[in-house]
Amino acid sequence: MSIGDKAGSGDGEYERGLCVQQLAVAYSGVPAVRGISLDVKAGEAVGLIGPNGAGKSSTLLGIMGAIARTGRVLVHGQDVAGLPPEKVVRRGVALVPEGRHVFAELSVADNLRLGAVARRDRAGYSEAMEHVLTLFPILRDFGHRQAGLLSGGQQQQLAIGRALMSDPDILLLDEPSLGLSPTAVDTVFEALDVIRAAGKAVLVVEQRAEFTIAFCDRTFVLHDGEITLTLKPEDAEKVDVLTKAYFG
Amino acid sequence: MIGQLVQSLVDALSAGATLGLAALAIGLVFGVIRLANFAQAEIITASAYCLIFAWGLGWYIAIPLSILVAIAMSLLMEFAVFSRMRSANPATLLIASFGLSFLLQRVYELMFSNNVRTAPVASGLAQTVEFAGIRIQLLSVATIVIAGVLLLGLNWFLTRTSQGLQLKAAAADFRTARLVGIPAGRVIALSFALSGILAAAVAFVLTVQSGAVGPTFGVQITILALVGAVIGGIDKISGSLAGGFLVGFVTSLLATWLPQEMSNFKDAYVFVLVIGVLLFKPSGLLIKGRGVART
Repeated sequence: MSIGDKAGSGDGEYERGLCVQQLAVAYSGVPAVRGISLDVKAGEAVGLIGPNGAGKSSTLLGIMGAIARTGRVLVHGQDVAGLPPEKVVRRGVALVPEGRHVFAELSVADNLRLGAVARRDRAGYSEAMEHVLTLFPILRDFGHRQAGLLSGGQQQQLAIGRALMSDPDILLLDEPSLGLSPTAVDTVFEALDVIRAAGKAVLVVEQRAEFTIAFCDRTFVLHDGEITLTLKPEDAEKVDVLTKAYFG
Repeated sequence: MIGQLVQSLVDALSAGATLGLAALAIGLVFGVIRLANFAQAEIITASAYCLIFAWGLGWYIAIPLSILVAIAMSLLMEFAVFSRMRSANPATLLIASFGLSFLLQRVYELMFSNNVRTAPVASGLAQTVEFAGIRIQLLSVATIVIAGVLLLGLNWFLTRTSQGLQLKAAAADFRTARLVGIPAGRVIALSFALSGILAAAVAFVLTVQSGAVGPTFGVQITILALVGAVIGGIDKISGSLAGGFLVGFVTSLLATWLPQEMSNFKDAYVFVLVIGVLLFKPSGLLIKGRGVART
């Protein structure tokens, strides 16, 4: 644990992975993210926790270019500043948004097909589909079902599967456990473990602090738009550390 | 009596089909960029002028040309005006489209004068045919067929092609569509192009009906189409289509069956229906709940 480590691991511009430097986001002049820096290497899972309104979702949306931001976002060392979200996806970053946002009226199969729109490698489509269906077998069973008719847990699996269809190197997830049963949460995080093991960089925003700290290689605590703490998996059970993380 | 009933039903289906197409054109664009494009009226007018002026060259030139003009106008509006207002809210976009509509009406006045221009566009379709004692206008049947073919084609496009799926997804949730990697510019242009094709179909039907086109030719149907889209649920492509159809169908039946002194107010009854829907089901008749807030 290191209190006040604002820069994550600081100066690393990794060849493979995500490096965020001095990212700042504001809504109508009110700052939501105040110049944070963090990095996620290939094969690593990094957590971002903090109270409501801390700037966690804004960080992810800022990385995706979905909202105006300043600072640098390096994907495999290349700055994606100024690119719209659809082009950031083509650079190998995919976001699983908060609330899942599957296309409810479309079938599960069509949702997955849409995920592949931004694939850099069209030839690998069938392989990616097979990979997703193996990771989440329920999606194979419900391929023709309307996505809106799936349970919350199944929709979350679909949202992650859809993101994987673009063959991302970097996967961002915004509160993937929100509103899910404990079993569904286990399913989702087991899949994330497989994704991490496959060499993808995973950045996950979560409310479940203990769970996230234990799962991730590193977890940053965000408070009022700033990183105030960096935690390691062994900090997960230290109540005083968690209390400090949330209440300062 | 039965003959009159069937005839009025065919006419109502035809009117509903025309208005359904016009409302669908508005709903397609609204779904993607939250623009209720009132200037859709001027796309219809431009396409109709094209039919009038080019009809002498042959239908095989006039009809494709009118479709091309409608698509070009629609795309031009997007690139010249609306693409520069991406962050504007729906109310601002609507007002901008009003402004554009009035501007284009004055341009048409300058170019073609206030007088209507006439040509016998597909005059064969204006005839009535009689079988089993029932007299039916050929144009009504043709309108239903045109709308049917277009809707089947559009449905095929939206459900069977990658581009169509992308458009459907963008219309359902534009922000997520972009986060998934669907190119915003391409899908917006596609929605405008398709709305142009629908406008051309509407222009054809109306031009055959009246044979005369003036600067405000497309305004009346566009107002009713907007009303229809709102009634059905402008948030959904199918809602706009169904709402437009409903308004056209009901208006036509009212015009036929209401006593003369009351049928003059048929549009007023439609607007009473709108007020009712806005009060009790503001998201539209076909949208579950009160509609989804969009950001």
